[in-house]
Amino acid sequence: MPKRHDLKKIIILGSGPIVIGQACEFDYSGTQACKALMKEGYEVVLVNSNPATIMTDPEIATRVYIEPLEPRYLEEIIKKEKPQAIVPTLGGQTALNLGLQLDQLGILKKYNVEMLGADAEIIERAEDREKFNDLLISVGAKSTKNVMVRNFDQGLEVAKQFGFPLILRPNYTLGGGGGGIAYSLEEYKQKISLGLHESPTSEVLVEESILGWKEYELEVMRDAAGTFVVICSIENIDPCGVHTGDSITVAPQQTLSDQEYQDMRDEAQKIVEAVGVQTGGANIQFAVCPDTKKRVVIEMNPRVSRSSALASKATGFPIAKIAALLSVGFHLDEITNDITKTTPSCYEPALDYIVTKVPRFAFEKFKGVADELSTQMKSVGEAMSIGRTFKESFSKAFLSLESAQESFPEVLFKEEKILIPNSQRALYLVQAFREGMSVDEIYSKTKISYWFLEQISEIVALENVIKNNKLTNKLLLKAKRYGFSDFHIARLKDCAEIQVLSQREDHKIFPDYMQVDTCAGEFESETPYFYSSYWSARESEYLKSKKPVVALLGSGPNRIGQGVEFDYTCVRSVKQFQKEGYAVVMINSNPETVSTDYDTSDYLFFEPVTSESVAEILRYTQPEGFVAQLGGQTPINISPYLVSQGYKILGSSLEAMDLAEDRKRFSEICKTLDFKLPESAAVVTYDEAQVQAQEIGYPIICRPSYVLGGRRMEVVESDHDLASYFERHGYVISEKNKCQMEHFLESALEVDVDLVRGEGWTLVGGIVEHIERAGVHSGDSMGVLPPQRLKKSTGRKIEALSKQLAETLDIYGFLNLQLAIKNDEVYMIEANPRSSRSVPFIAKATSKPFVDLGVQAILRKPQSNIVGSNYDWKDTEIVSVKGVVFPFKKFSKADSILGPEMKSTGESMGRASNYADALMKSFISSHYDLPASGEIFMSLRDKDKDLLLPLAKQFIFMGYSLCATKGTADFLEDHNIKCKTVKKVHEGRPNCVDRIRSGEICLVINTTSGRQAIEASFDIRRSCIDYSVPCITESDAADSFLLALQNSQKGLVTISPL
Amino acid sequence: MSYLVLESGEVFEGQWHGIKGGDSAGEVVFNTSHSGYEEIATDPSYYSQIVVMTAPMQGNYGVSKEFWESEKIWIKGFVCLELQDTKRESGWKDLLQKSGVPAMDEVDTRRLVKTLRSKGTVWGAMVSAETQEEAIARAKLLIIKEQQKDKDWCYATTTKDVQILKGKKTSGPRVAVIDLGCKKNIVRELLDTSSEVGVFPSRVSAQEIMNFKPDGVMLSNGPGDPKDVQKTVETVKSLLGKVYIMGICMGHHILALALGGQTYKLKFGHRGSNHPIRDELLKKVYVSSQNHGYAVDQKSLPEGIDVTHWNINDNTVAGLKSAAQKCFSVQYHPESHPGPHEARELFTYFMSELN
Repeated sequence: MPKRHDLKKIIILGSGPIVIGQACEFDYSGTQACKALMKEGYEVVLVNSNPATIMTDPEIATRVYIEPLEPRYLEEIIKKEKPQAIVPTLGGQTALNLGLQLDQLGILKKYNVEMLGADAEIIERAEDREKFNDLLISVGAKSTKNVMVRNFDQGLEVAKQFGFPLILRPNYTLGGGGGGIAYSLEEYKQKISLGLHESPTSEVLVEESILGWKEYELEVMRDAAGTFVVICSIENIDPCGVHTGDSITVAPQQTLSDQEYQDMRDEAQKIVEAVGVQTGGANIQFAVCPDTKKRVVIEMNPRVSRSSALASKATGFPIAKIAALLSVGFHLDEITNDITKTTPSCYEPALDYIVTKVPRFAFEKFKGVADELSTQMKSVGEAMSIGRTFKESFSKAFLSLESAQESFPEVLFKEEKILIPNSQRALYLVQAFREGMSVDEIYSKTKISYWFLEQISEIVALENVIKNNKLTNKLLLKAKRYGFSDFHIARLKDCAEIQVLSQREDHKIFPDYMQVDTCAGEFESETPYFYSSYWSARESEYLKSKKPVVALLGSGPNRIGQGVEFDYTCVRSVKQFQKEGYAVVMINSNPETVSTDYDTSDYLFFEPVTSESVAEILRYTQPEGFVAQLGGQTPINISPYLVSQGYKILGSSLEAMDLAEDRKRFSEICKTLDFKLPESAAVVTYDEAQVQAQEIGYPIICRPSYVLGGRRMEVVESDHDLASYFERHGYVISEKNKCQMEHFLESALEVDVDLVRGEGWTLVGGIVEHIERAGVHSGDSMGVLPPQRLKKSTGRKIEALSKQLAETLDIYGFLNLQLAIKNDEVYMIEANPRSSRSVPFIAKATSKPFVDLGVQAILRKPQSNIVGSNYDWKDTEIVSVKGVVFPFKKFSKADSILGPEMKSTGESMGRASNYADALMKSFISSHYDLPASGEIFMSLRDKDKDLLLPLAKQFIFMGYSLCATKGTADFLEDHNIKCKTVKKVHEGRPNCVDRIRSGEICLVINTTSGRQAIEASFDIRRSCIDYSVPCITESDAADSFLLALQNSQKGLVTISPL
Repeated sequence: MSYLVLESGEVFEGQWHGIKGGDSAGEVVFNTSHSGYEEIATDPSYYSQIVVMTAPMQGNYGVSKEFWESEKIWIKGFVCLELQDTKRESGWKDLLQKSGVPAMDEVDTRRLVKTLRSKGTVWGAMVSAETQEEAIARAKLLIIKEQQKDKDWCYATTTKDVQILKGKKTSGPRVAVIDLGCKKNIVRELLDTSSEVGVFPSRVSAQEIMNFKPDGVMLSNGPGDPKDVQKTVETVKSLLGKVYIMGICMGHHILALALGGQTYKLKFGHRGSNHPIRDELLKKVYVSSQNHGYAVDQKSLPEGIDVTHWNINDNTVAGLKSAAQKCFSVQYHPESHPGPHEARELFTYFMSELN
């Protein structure tokens, strides 16, 4: 079937802000689909609320709407755009659920819009666990013994029948949300009530445990003619019990015989047929008992998923693109394989390499949260690596995590660290072998398949060989083939890393760069998608490129503080570098991203973004220079090494970057430029800190010198706090990594400024005003452009000062400044000589090609050669608000109070013609409920009470009722505001937390400070998270929430494209 | 040291896992299946061939007699990047050793495959030797010796005696299999739906087949150049039109030759579990299991013979049918093992034509 001509305009739904379980893999799939459909001549309307994505770049689709992914907004967009079809299968669970809602509300029918890829019935058959179970039985597949629980009492009955442990899977939730494993009745009671609450249908599937079974995933595709292909088989190293998103996985599967595998494949095909998937991608998870070989189906997703992105990168088969083409009528045999350019897409990729995916976690960000893995996903990002053998791939994957200079650094062995799955388990497994444990012993404790354990034991065995023998060239080559870094080998030999490098250089022990070609070498292919391996000798010493090459360093696995925003800048800049005549080498290890799509750059190197790995790629590609300022902090950190190896950095020089990061020299520059600096000091010992604290005056922000995302950064308000800070973090403080102490500017207004500077010109891209006051990490605070409170004159002053600073530092390319404004004085908080998190937001809020200009600035082009480099960012009719999304729900003991350490995973954007409307949209997109009526609970610290009095009055005026604990309630009553008094937690029951849990409270305003007060009010915030009650913890945020509520009461739904 | 020496001059080093002095020569071919090493090694179609697996890790899940496709290991050598070698699961390596089949790993199989892809299928030898020169010299002799063997490879692998096997369905048809190097799973598939299956040697006469009173004849897979197979084409010519015939792989070539068509050698063949087929008989497109070095020339086929199956990677003929002569055949393996099962329906189709 050729493509359908009855379709002209198609809506693609994105997945909204990045959350755990739904990250930038859907940016990748959506972007790919948009490009494919545009190329086929369709008009594509993209809707997504996430400004950090590439898909919301105006050049990706015919029209881009950054609007809330809510039925009422979609209805307006449909009304205006009059599309013939909508694709709900590319934007994760969010898009799928939205598609389902649009169908149920009759909106699709009303406007005659067809759902492509999957319809409501199909979605239900796969997503509704009861229906899905019936379907499994009908095709002869097995599932685990399970019962759909609809209320608490029924849940208790089921537990009695089944015994423990039990697995809980709430219906229709994302990333296993609200689910988990219960080992005891007590744990079960708590989890079942939460799960019932989490499920939109109040249903939890309670399942007998299959802990310890082998887990597999098949990524499949089907076209309208029924042609079925398995794109990739994935095997989890972690057996059942760990969410697949948190598991270390390999592709293709390694431990099933062909017959076992083919039976699984048959079953997958039957399921896809029975669910009724007409066209597109799907994934099916299986578990296999290692002893009996019994196989059960865990679940199925009738859509492109996280693992589809992984499978696409692992095989070179562009699942999302093909899914999009299938949805408009093409068949698999009618689409050419992009990589070979000669064969069709109805094949199953053959791999002659092994792919490993490792998750990256952020437990250190959430105090009090146990580092344990279960069926609810907790990882914030992932790295993928490709190697010719499992050992090479596995070692490289851990290097890609960028947490150490070797794959498996030594750890102090603790047995419970291999018994209970946790974020560091792989390191402890390796250590267990180092301690002499046997494969059998470890198997009995972990149920990780023998094959994987044997492979890991070989890694440790080689470590011992290296330790005890002369490092011959042969041995060195073997170590490299096992994926050992030079640093690792040097540590084993107790020599300097440079010695290992010299030996490699002297004997030309270099990696070869091999192609990912979908066919294991069977057909010729030109696609420049490479990975390194020491298993082959190089055929040619250097990459042959007709054009001069620039190497772009990506940002590696997503983490809190470094995510899709940097991928946006990288991807957008590729196009501009190409326009400037360069061929772009892209280096990254993150399978979720658009930057690692093989057709984004001229040459893709899917490799760790580490000093050794990047240096080898530069040695091979011989670029004119490398670009480090677009991929966040990761590339910046390795730049000094790369420069020391003789490679040229493009844009700002190392010296310029040093100047910005060297507190002392930087302070001096700031002083000469009329930037104010908060009193500060750098100390090594607690004694010094005590002395300096007197000088600086509390409150003080303390942090180690080298941090990302505000890690270990805290506001210290007293001597007592300071002592506690050193108790907890003192061990990372050293002469090399001093503790920075800085006076905290209370109640100051904070802004982000992003600018680019080229040869003789500087352009301010925008100023984002933070909604919360100084003290909340810039990544966690909401922001608005254009600023709403900043005086015009101060704005002008900021622009002028920023430009002067860029000049003085001799910046070429991007510069990000974080400034605080108090009493019209501009304080310098921090300068980042690179692109920042706020760049994509600014680019979209101003609708200007800011990144393109940044690239020209990096290339030091003079202004006369540049078009459009002197626009005014303030020249916009639209107000844009950045919202933030937090993962607290996933971490059962995490506190939602905001501070200087970043905790958010994603951002949203609200665009409108006025501030209130934009605010409201950004709250909606950040998954806040905006209650129309109900009871508001307030618990305020003393200094906020006066400040928030007008707010309380407004709430009453708007028809809400108020309740508060005694102090706040008395205060409000004193000011003639009606307020019910409720008990504090320690005052007995029912108390305020009980009220939140029972659903009587629709909104909580809880401001607090000081460690004790924060701890005392923890239960309030935690119950809000657990029961999805909006909870505002900062006074300015409360004001803005009020504005949003007021706007919401008007009931207007406005939309506008970028 | 150990070497894989190609006739075309390239030499690949590796780690020897075979028995001492177990040097051997054969046609060097590569297979892209991810799993199924044991099925492949016991498939008689690999007679006189050194098999290079593109999947790097081999021997991962051990061995089991239930995967065997015949009574012995036929391959002349096994080459891969890393052969599983641990105390617990060295089954595959041990089995190769016990069977006297040389194995090599740590071979740069990627470059080897690219060489085979550009040079076409070449002969080669696996040799353990002190020096590369010595290896090359020894390899030359080994290759010559191997090439001097009788060219009718099907005859080398076929059953020596007629075997009569009871089928599972007493009311089902009787099927005669002409064993050209038959995989067990073809017989297994037939037994499921027939009353009796007779397996005959490759040089069987038409009369012997007709004496069995078959409702259908299956021409099996087998190794080598179809034009070197003696007698079978004549036998099939005599059977044409008298009894319904299905051919698989070598059987497909033999049928094409009997129908008056021609076969030719492919540059490097198709060996793997991922080749797409457009099947106009079953009216679908699916992925198939393949293992062949020759193909039927479409232009050579006389009138009345329809090409019903296409390999859509390179548009070679993958199956044909003649309604008048009551026969059809496919180039690939509906019996799978290894590989996907979707073409299994062709057995059903065959059986339905018999009733």
